[in-house]
Amino acid sequence: MTSSSVNSAILRAQAVSRQVSYHGQQLAILHDASLAVAAGESVAIVGASGSGKSTLLAILAGLDAASSGEVWLAGQPLSALDEDGRALLRRDQVGFVFQNFQLMPQFTALENVMLPLELAGRADARPAAAAMLQRVGLGHRLDHYPRHLSGGEQQRVALARAFVLRPALLFADEPTGNLDPATGQQIIELLFELNAEAGTALVLVTHDTTLAARCAAVYRLSAGVLARSEA
Amino acid sequence: MKGLSWLMGWRLLRRELKSGELTVLALALLVAVAAMSSVAFFADRIDSALTRQASQLLAADLVVNSRAPAEPAWQQRAQAQGLQQVATATFPSMVFAREQAVLANLKAVASGYPLRGEVQIRTRQGVKQGVYSPAAGEVWADARLLQKMGLQLGDSVRLGSRSFVLAAEVLREPDGAVDVFNFIPRVLLNHADLAATGLVQDGSRIRYRLLLAGEAAQVKTYRDWLAPQLKPGTRLEDIEEARPEVRSALERARRFLGLTAILSVTLSAAAVALAVRRYLSRHWQSVAVLRALGQTAPEVATVWGSLFLWLGLLAGVLGTLAGFGVQALLVYLARQWLGDGLPPPGWLAWLTGPLSALILLAGFALPPLLALRRVPAMAVLRADVPAGSRSLLAPLLALVALLGLTAWQIGDGPLALWLLSGLGGFLAAVALLAWGIVVLLRRVPLSGAVGWRHGAANLARRPWLAVIQIAALSVSLLALLTLTVVRDDLIGAWQRSLPPDAPDTFLINLQAPQRAQLAQAFAKVGRSAPDALPMTRARLLAINGKPVKAADYEDERAQRLVEREFNLSWRDAANPRNQIVAGQWWQPGSSTPQFSLEEGLANTLRLKQGDTLTFDIAGTTWQAPVTSLRKVAWDSFQPNFFVVAPSGWMGGQAASYIASYRAPDAGFNNRLVAALPNVTVVDISTIVREVRAVIDRLALAIEAMFALTLAAGVLVLWAAMAATRDERLYDVALLRALGASRRQVRNVLLAELAWLGGVAGLMAGGGAMALGALVAVQLFNLPLALNLWLLPLGMLAGGSVVALAAWPLLRRVTHTPPSEVLRAN
Repeated sequence: MTSSSVNSAILRAQAVSRQVSYHGQQLAILHDASLAVAAGESVAIVGASGSGKSTLLAILAGLDAASSGEVWLAGQPLSALDEDGRALLRRDQVGFVFQNFQLMPQFTALENVMLPLELAGRADARPAAAAMLQRVGLGHRLDHYPRHLSGGEQQRVALARAFVLRPALLFADEPTGNLDPATGQQIIELLFELNAEAGTALVLVTHDTTLAARCAAVYRLSAGVLARSEA
Repeated sequence: MKGLSWLMGWRLLRRELKSGELTVLALALLVAVAAMSSVAFFADRIDSALTRQASQLLAADLVVNSRAPAEPAWQQRAQAQGLQQVATATFPSMVFAREQAVLANLKAVASGYPLRGEVQIRTRQGVKQGVYSPAAGEVWADARLLQKMGLQLGDSVRLGSRSFVLAAEVLREPDGAVDVFNFIPRVLLNHADLAATGLVQDGSRIRYRLLLAGEAAQVKTYRDWLAPQLKPGTRLEDIEEARPEVRSALERARRFLGLTAILSVTLSAAAVALAVRRYLSRHWQSVAVLRALGQTAPEVATVWGSLFLWLGLLAGVLGTLAGFGVQALLVYLARQWLGDGLPPPGWLAWLTGPLSALILLAGFALPPLLALRRVPAMAVLRADVPAGSRSLLAPLLALVALLGLTAWQIGDGPLALWLLSGLGGFLAAVALLAWGIVVLLRRVPLSGAVGWRHGAANLARRPWLAVIQIAALSVSLLALLTLTVVRDDLIGAWQRSLPPDAPDTFLINLQAPQRAQLAQAFAKVGRSAPDALPMTRARLLAINGKPVKAADYEDERAQRLVEREFNLSWRDAANPRNQIVAGQWWQPGSSTPQFSLEEGLANTLRLKQGDTLTFDIAGTTWQAPVTSLRKVAWDSFQPNFFVVAPSGWMGGQAASYIASYRAPDAGFNNRLVAALPNVTVVDISTIVREVRAVIDRLALAIEAMFALTLAAGVLVLWAAMAATRDERLYDVALLRALGASRRQVRNVLLAELAWLGGVAGLMAGGGAMALGALVAVQLFNLPLALNLWLLPLGMLAGGSVVALAAWPLLRRVTHTPPSEVLRAN
C-alpha cells in the first residue's frame, strides 16, 4: 500500500475489530480487518453466511461502530464523528443498495429516488429523480408504489436512488440475493454500468464468486478474518 | 432541513391516511376529541347561561321566602334602610277560560316588579321589555297556557272567583328564565287582585316572597339583621342560591356527560396506544432507511413528530366540529327546558378538543416516537426490532391530565374521582376475571374440534392483549346493554307499578264544607265519591321531650324533614292499603292521643314505636306516643301521610282536604273546578306523560354520548385486532402452507373471536344486571329484579359485535395467499 494510494483512498480501514458480549462472553465477530478502496475502484467482499460480512459492511459505511481500529471515509476518521455526523457524511458521500431493496413503502418510485436529493437540499429533485428512473428503464412507473413493483423493478428503483447523487462510494449488500438469476444478471449489468458512468467506488458484499470476479479487487472474509484474495 | 422534515411528515400523513395505516389512530383521536369537546361546549354554554342570568334569576338582590306574608317589621326596616322592595306570592291553581280548566303556576306581583332584570312581554301594541307588572284586573300568561287553551290577547280568564283580561303574553320573566323541567304554564297577576280571587285559604300552598334590592352593603346589613330572627320554614335566597333546582338539574346532566366522556377518553386512549405502537413497529424499518441515507436522529424524529402533530391537529379540528355537532344536538333535544337563549360557547371550549388530541398523542405517541431516535441505521442490514419504550410514566401522566381536564369540565373533583374509581374498579374486575379465564384456557386441556382448541390457545397466547380486548369490549357492551335492555326494563317496571284503575287525578285544597259538593258531583255521574282526607301542616318540635334540631341528623333528607313542615292527617279506621308493620292501629272511635308513623320516615328520623313526639300545628302543641308503624306504597297514586292521628283526638282542626280518583269522564274535572274554584286539580296522566317524554328525550341525549363510548370501544377492539394482524397473517399462512383448509383456518379464528366476544359479553351482561338493579333500587324505588337474560344476551351481543368488527380482518387473513405472506417475512 503506497502512501499515494492511501491519500487517494475514498475508504480505508485499519485493524478494525468488533466484539460483542454474548451471555457474558466476548465474541470476536471481526478481527483486525484492514482494506483500502481507491476512488472509482470496485472491491468485492466475499464470505459464507455468518462470516461477518454484514458487520464489516456496517462498520465501513459508518452504520455501526468498530470496537477498535479506525475507518476513514472520504478522508474523515469515523471514530471522531458521532452518529449524526456519520449520517451527514453518508448523505454527502455514500449510496446504498440492499438485498431486500429497502424502499420506503409509503413513497412512490419517484419520491423514493427524490429522497436523497431532497435530503441534500437540491431544488431540482423531481426532474433529476425522474431522469434517473428513466435511465434505469422505469420512466413509465414513476408514480407506482413499491408494493406494485416486481423485485427486479424495486431493485432498479434502489439503484436509481443510490446513484442519483453520484456518490463517491457505493455499498451494495447482496444486491441480487432476492432475485432470480436472469433478473439478478440484469441488475448487475446495470450496477456496473452506472458505476462506470458515475465514477463511483464500489464495495460489493456477496457470496457469489462469479459476481465478485467482476470487481478489481476481491477480499475474502472467513471467521472474522479478512484477507485479500489474489484471484 | 427542518422544513423538509415537516414537509415529509405532511406527505407521509397524506399517504398513510390514504393507505389506511393510520385509520384506527385517526378515528380513536377523533372519538376522544369529539367526546371531550362536546362536553366542553355543553358545560361552557350552560355555565355562561347561569352566570349571565344569575343576577336576574331572583329578580332581586335578596329574597325572603316564607309560607306566610312578610312581617310588617321586615318591610319597615327595609324601607328605613332605603332598600327597594316588592312582594310576590306564587302558588299552583286552576285557570278557567273557554270552558276549560288548566293547572297553572300563579304569581301575584306588586308594582315595581322586577327589581333586577327585565320582563319581556308581547301586548297588542307589540313586544315590550323593561320593568312592568300586570295592571289591576289584568293577567299575563306564557305561551304554554296560550297554546294549551287556545287563548288570544284580550280574552277573558278566570282565576278563582274573579275574571281578568289577558293583557299580555310573557316572553321572559327574570325569576323564571331557565325553567328546566317546568312544564306547568305560568300566569302573572297584580298583587292587589289576589284577595279578590278567593284563592288564598287555610292550608293553601302559597309561597310568599319579599324581593329586596339596593346597595350591596345595605343588602348585607339587612341580611345580617334579618337572618338571626327567621323562623324555620322561612329562608333567605341570594344569587348564590338562585334556582338551585335548575343548577342541580344541569349539573347532573353535565356530570353524566362527563362520565361518558371519561369512558370514551379512556377507551380512546387505549386505542391510540395500541394503534401508535402498531404503526411505529411497522415503520421502524423506514426510519432505518432514512438514517442510512443520511438523516440525523433529530431530523427523523421531526418527520414522525410532525406527522403526529399534523394528525393531532387534523383530528383536533374535525373532532371539535363533530363535538360541536353532538353538543348542538343535545341543546336541541333539551331546548324545551333550556330555551333558545343559550349563549354561544367561549373560545376556551373550542381549544379543549385539539388540546386533548395533543395530550393524548404526547402521552401515548411521544414515548415510542422518542424510541425511534434510537433505531440504528444498522437495522437496514439486520432486522433487529428495537426494544420499545416500557415506561408507563408518560401514558399515565397523559391519562391523568385528560381525566383532570374532564373533571374540570364536570366541575366536581370528588365526584370525578368517585366515578373514576368506579370505572377503574369495574375495569380492574373485568381485567382480573379476563386474566383468570385466559390463564384457565391456557391450563385446561380442551378437547373437541381443532377450531375451538386453537382459538382458545390463540387467545391465551397473547394474554395482555386478550385482557385489553375483553375489558374494552365489555365496557362498550355494558353501555349498549344498559341503554337498551335495562332502560326498557326500568320503564316497564315503572309502568307495571301503576295499576290500570289507578287514580289519574289529585284534588287538593278542598275545604271542609266543599266535601258535600264533591259528593254531589260524583252522585251526578252515578259514582260514589272518593274519600276526602284531612290534611294539615305540622312541624316536629321534640322527640321524647327533647327539642329536635336539623343538626342532630347527618342525613340530608332527615334535616329537610326536621326543618320543613310536613303533612299530617287523622282518620278512624286503618287505611286498608297500608300495612301495619309494628304496633297496633287504634280502636275505632278512640280519642287517646297517639300517632301512627310511616316506616320510612321513622327510619330516617330514627324513631321507633313508643317514642313520644311533639308537633306544632298552627301554633298549637300536640304531644303523643307512637303506637304503630305503617308500610305505604307511595307510587299507588293514593293520598298517603307520614303521620296519622285518631280522628277522635285531632279531628275538628282546621284542615284542607285531599282526594284522588279516576275521572269518570273527560269534562268531569273542568266541571268540578268550575263549581269549586279554589280547588287545585292535578291531572297526573299529563304529568306521567310529560315525565315520560322528559325521560325519553334525556335518554336520547344520553344515547348520543353513549354512541361515542360504543364507537370508542369498537375502535379499541379494532386496534387490538390490527395489532396482531401481521402475526395472525403469518400464523395463518403457516397453517395454510401446512395443509389447513381455508375453512379450518376460518374456524380457528372464529373460535378465538367467539371466546373473546363471549367472555366480554358475559361480563358486560353481569355489569348491566348489577347496574340495573342498583338504579332500580336506589333511584326508582322499584323492587329488586335481576334480568338473567342479560347474561346470554350479552354473550350473543359480544359475539356479534366482535364478528362484525373482525370481519374485514377475517376476510383479509383467509384470502391472502400464503406465499405472499411468507415471502414478505
